[in-house]
Amino acid sequence: MNSNRSIRFKPYIMILPALLLVALFSYIPFVLTFLNSVHSVSLGGERLAFVGFSNYRRLFSNPSFHASLSNTLRFTLFFVPTNIIVTLSAALLSNRKGWLANLNRIFFFLPMAVGMSSMLMILKMMFNPTIGIINRLIGINIQWFNDPDAAMALLVVAGVFLGIGFDFLLFSAALRNVPNDLKEVALINGANGFQIFRHLELPLIAPTLVFIVVTNIKNAMLISAPVLILTEGGPFRSTQTLVYQMYLEGFKSGNYALGSAIAIVVFLLTFTALLILLHLERRRIYYQ
Amino acid sequence: MRTLRATLSTLLSLLVVFPIAYAISASFFRYADFTALPPRLFPSGLNLGNYVRAFSESFLARFLFNSLLTAIIGTFLRMTISIMAAYTFSFFSFKGRNALFILIVATMLLPSDALIIANFMTIRALRLTDTYLGIIATSLLAPTHIFMLRQYFRMMSVEYREAAVIEGCTDTRFLTTLLMPMSKAVVLTLAIHSFSTIFNDYLWPLLVTNRTSMRTIQVGLTMMGFSEQLDYGPQFAAITFLMTPILVAFIALHRPIIESVSIRFTGR
Repeated sequence: MNSNRSIRFKPYIMILPALLLVALFSYIPFVLTFLNSVHSVSLGGERLAFVGFSNYRRLFSNPSFHASLSNTLRFTLFFVPTNIIVTLSAALLSNRKGWLANLNRIFFFLPMAVGMSSMLMILKMMFNPTIGIINRLIGINIQWFNDPDAAMALLVVAGVFLGIGFDFLLFSAALRNVPNDLKEVALINGANGFQIFRHLELPLIAPTLVFIVVTNIKNAMLISAPVLILTEGGPFRSTQTLVYQMYLEGFKSGNYALGSAIAIVVFLLTFTALLILLHLERRRIYYQ
Repeated sequence: MRTLRATLSTLLSLLVVFPIAYAISASFFRYADFTALPPRLFPSGLNLGNYVRAFSESFLARFLFNSLLTAIIGTFLRMTISIMAAYTFSFFSFKGRNALFILIVATMLLPSDALIIANFMTIRALRLTDTYLGIIATSLLAPTHIFMLRQYFRMMSVEYREAAVIEGCTDTRFLTTLLMPMSKAVVLTLAIHSFSTIFNDYLWPLLVTNRTSMRTIQVGLTMMGFSEQLDYGPQFAAITFLMTPILVAFIALHRPIIESVSIRFTGR
């Protein structure tokens, strides 16, 4: 009887660590974040009084939040197409035979081997307006950290360097699965390179393309480390993003309630992106 | 046409690898090399002073120790928890199995970056700030790992385990002597993924550590103080020292890496 009971409880005991962890670090904090966003919260983190949606009203009338929201969306809008064009070009151009193509492929995915903060520190030093190699090599004088447009462009560049390794590998894998005999038939029938891409390769890699677009959108909406390390939201809040403002409110100003309200907005935004992903996945699109 | 394509491809690949190559080269620069005219791409000599300074004038060794320790312990715990959960969900039948599985996997939809304020409060309440456990606490559960391991384990018939148990084999023995060797490839891939995720994490370790001696390498690297004083040499040396082993591993293993992505993400 005793051993019977222990057998019955065994599966629950074996998944207990996982269940405790999802409760402690996913579900409870999610509920707490929502509760904090509808209360006033002390510096020590205690909820003081229920305030309804007034934190959200304060947020939506806050110019700093307007800046964060529009910067996050602007970054997403610039970053996603840039990243797709660069990584897809890399995959298309290097999808050939020979040692040179092999070397090109290694170079394209090598940024993946560099840690995020290493890559960002390298870029920060390379783009320094006075002694950085970029301005000096090209002979330009762009104030990468003091000009709002240049700072946004720098974030997009950083985003591409941080993401190219993995996205390149995904595109490459998808392209190599396009059957060679189909391409040969198309060539014999007089199709040019662009036609082969447009009518043969593109439809076949569409699932991968959709997956990369959606994950890029999600990552772009959550961008924080490049802002923290490269621009610190500046100049004049021109690169302040949602997660960065959440960090400022929560950890620099001790304004947990407002920070939590921003977190809920971030949730809703990324959740929408993920719902699209799941919807597409149901239509037989492969992803991790 | 063929040469044009090879040329474009090579130019683009050089552009992509440029920051890495420049960082390695600049780690040997003397101070004056950074301001030389015309601008230098290669050092004026093989100068190792930056490496000496990176270690002697900062806590680089300590940061690296903290990162390696948290990444190794974190990976081990994360894999153990994931394997145990995935094993249970694949080979046992019990009440609420599917609901509990969905409960765990659904957390993939909650981006951890948006939970950092609440999680930070939890860690502070548990008095785990500035501890190794605090650094790894939020990465101990990987719903994606449980999901993928279960997909993999389910390829093996449940009767296998039942037969083994009837013959007197314990679950631990079944897992370690049969299931793990069979799933070596997927377990190894996920372990490498875990290690690099924990090792490369930035925002969370930044928040839960305050003392310099507890900083991880990713956080410490941005706070060494060299780059603020435009003293770039030691900063590039620290970065180069850190990335070289991983670069070498990636170049040596480039074929299996490309293959594994091809299999894992396109199913072929």
